[in-house]
Amino acid sequence: MKRLIPALLLALTACGAQPAAQQAAPASLTWAIETQPITLNPQQWSQNKARLLVFNQFDALLTRKQDGSFGPWLATAWKVSDDGLSYTLTLRDDVTFHDGTTFDAAAVKANLDQFRVPGYNPAVAAIQLRAYKEAKVISPTTLEITLKEPDGLFLDFLASPYAGQVSPKSLRSAKDLKFGGPDLVGTGPFILDRYVRGQEIHYRRNPAYRWPRDGAAHQGPAHLPEITYRFLPEAAVRVGALTSGQVQVIEGVPATEAGLIKSDPGLSLQTALNSGTAFSYYFNLSRPPFDDQRVRRAFREAVDVDAVLRSVYQGTATRAWSIVGKASTFYDASLEDTFGGDVAKANALLDEAGWKQRDAQGFRVKDGKRLSVRTVASAAFVRDRRDILAQAIQAQVKQNAGIDFQVRIVDQGTAQQALDDNEYEIFENSRGDSDAGAALNLILPRGGAINRAHFSDARVDKWLAEAGATADQGRRKELYAKAQQVVVAEKAVVFPIYVPADQIAAQKSVQGLGFDPASGTPAGAYDVRIGT
Amino acid sequence: MARLGVVRRLGSGLAVLWAAATASYLALLLAPGDTVDILVGDGIDTPEIRAGIIREWGLDRPEIVQYLSYLWRLLHGDLGRSYQLQRGVGEVLATQVGPTVQLTLAAAAVGVTLAAAIAILTAGRGRAARGVASAAELVAVSVPPFLIGIVLLAVFSFTLGWFPVSGAQGPSAVVLPALALGLPIAGVLGQVLRGGLERALEQPFAVTARARGLTERALVARHALRHALIPAVTLAGWFTGTLLGGAVITEVLFGRPGLGRVAMDAVTGRDMPVVMAVVLLSAVVYVTISTLLDLAYRAIDPRIRG
Repeated sequence: MKRLIPALLLALTACGAQPAAQQAAPASLTWAIETQPITLNPQQWSQNKARLLVFNQFDALLTRKQDGSFGPWLATAWKVSDDGLSYTLTLRDDVTFHDGTTFDAAAVKANLDQFRVPGYNPAVAAIQLRAYKEAKVISPTTLEITLKEPDGLFLDFLASPYAGQVSPKSLRSAKDLKFGGPDLVGTGPFILDRYVRGQEIHYRRNPAYRWPRDGAAHQGPAHLPEITYRFLPEAAVRVGALTSGQVQVIEGVPATEAGLIKSDPGLSLQTALNSGTAFSYYFNLSRPPFDDQRVRRAFREAVDVDAVLRSVYQGTATRAWSIVGKASTFYDASLEDTFGGDVAKANALLDEAGWKQRDAQGFRVKDGKRLSVRTVASAAFVRDRRDILAQAIQAQVKQNAGIDFQVRIVDQGTAQQALDDNEYEIFENSRGDSDAGAALNLILPRGGAINRAHFSDARVDKWLAEAGATADQGRRKELYAKAQQVVVAEKAVVFPIYVPADQIAAQKSVQGLGFDPASGTPAGAYDVRIGT
Repeated sequence: MARLGVVRRLGSGLAVLWAAATASYLALLLAPGDTVDILVGDGIDTPEIRAGIIREWGLDRPEIVQYLSYLWRLLHGDLGRSYQLQRGVGEVLATQVGPTVQLTLAAAAVGVTLAAAIAILTAGRGRAARGVASAAELVAVSVPPFLIGIVLLAVFSFTLGWFPVSGAQGPSAVVLPALALGLPIAGVLGQVLRGGLERALEQPFAVTARARGLTERALVARHALRHALIPAVTLAGWFTGTLLGGAVITEVLFGRPGLGRVAMDAVTGRDMPVVMAVVLLSAVVYVTISTLLDLAYRAIDPRIRG
């Protein structure tokens, strides 16, 4: 049903109004976005897709570049002691919060210590700030942070929305601290004016702004005097609003409508791969049939991934070769072309594993049991048409290798129950962390929080621990590459499928749109302008 | 006597509310999955975080205690705090109720007006007019609101540019959502109303009225309509439900703020306090509407008063 709609819309709008490219360029900009922010407080942030809003209103201490290195933002320099326990930050001295208070080392300390308040954000306190011991104000522009143990991901924290600097005065006085809103203020290029749940969020320019992140396209205040983000969850409606000129920019363009936008001379389309992990199927090693490595390999070989991606995403998806996504600096490119699409091999492997007989429906059988595997996904997290993708894979493994792949899309509680009860053979997941190492720490170590594959390898545990304790990006890359080799090539624990991507479509007159280099999600509006 | 009736009505209304609150509480309790799992969601999951969540929401107490304290707080007008939105439920609902009321009233007006107009114009008329009207009604009833909405958007917003797609800023923004929500109501109501009118027109009083020289139009409007209203008014209770349910889809599709949107997010995120509050609010609306309908029956048909 839903798939019918875009085609219908396309037919109706294609013959309709001219796009608003010819209209006079408006001074303010309206941008339709898919996801509503759950909170406007950067320190409570949990949705990768809300980064574009966070960094309009707030600035972080550091910025993370595409190559994984860090650059200055509100902190102009940072020094890590040799033992990895002490971080000294040098701060800008010319920054003011939107409420007129001054940004200084005491403010940074207040922001860090805020995470110590019980119940403020237990997740960040337990993970990203696990090693945080104390912060000492040396001077208004110098802050020394001490850790209890070395943490290779601490710089990533300083560049994340969690390190978005909030005025300490507003931390004390905000009416609703956890939600944020106009009375929780930052130092960012835009000032939050109003938020109407379910409808829109409106910002106006901060005229005093002159401290953009390293790598910004310009200096000084933002180009746009104001910007409105409208929440339009339905993709077809977003595209219609863009083609009819009611909004100037949209994000989240489904593959089915990318062609329509590309063929329109008044519109532009940009795509960026997300950082973090690729969308992958993780095999449950703790129970048959995937406790047998031959069956895991056979499943991967039975699928012609390129053909599946072509049919589901019409050539707009990027094939994944590793658990780590292609856009991450930790991606191990040597894994490319190492698996998939060899039907003869898939069948030979299954024969060898003892799944020789076939039942009346053509599925393989061993000891009277059918070769059935299940995936259970929570509907709330099924995006990018992953349900359709699963159906395509289902057809391929059935036809090519006689595997019965059952796909269940259920509510979150039911999915959680199945995971808790270990009643699944495939766990599907992708993560959008700006540092893929953070995701690997959750997925691969023995007892990891989302190690749903029940994978356990002492070597991998050791490499991950070492990589987590060093801030040396080169060393981390080496260690993560070794881990990828083990889980993808040696043990076939994972079946990487595609690298998630974000899209921005806009009227041609809108310039300066782009993606956040750390995450690959759409960037904030600081560099955006209309006209030339 | 009348006062006793009012007290009984109020009592049964309260019982319905209590039953609704309890049923939704039980349903959420029995639904698969653990509340803590739901709150952790796709995020990072460690024993420390779980302990923090349990402390924060008091989930370590026995269910019956949680239930009773929930009822106790409810009695004091405290709807609790939303897990997901981290704000008071009362506040969340208060900011969202306005746009939904505006939308549902507009949709009800569209539905009732269209149904009445079509029924009066086509009742007792030629077969062709009836056929066209029935077909239109059938389409309006059977096409899902989602599809009606998106076609309306494609034609009147994206192509003709008459109405904006999103928001609740001005009267023009409510036209398309109200149509999307009101058309199915017009479809059902129109059929029922016309059926009632035609039965009424065959009755002896109609013959008498015609004999008095009353025109057919006047007969329909002044006499037959009153008879046809009873089944239609009964349906009003049904369409209250349609409106609340339809608001979910319509609000999401048109990017409007409102309760439907809040309810959907709460259900998918198992945001218990919000789900419960929305259930309760719907129960209040149903109770109120059914009470008003009882009164309306008496006004329409004096025979019921006895």
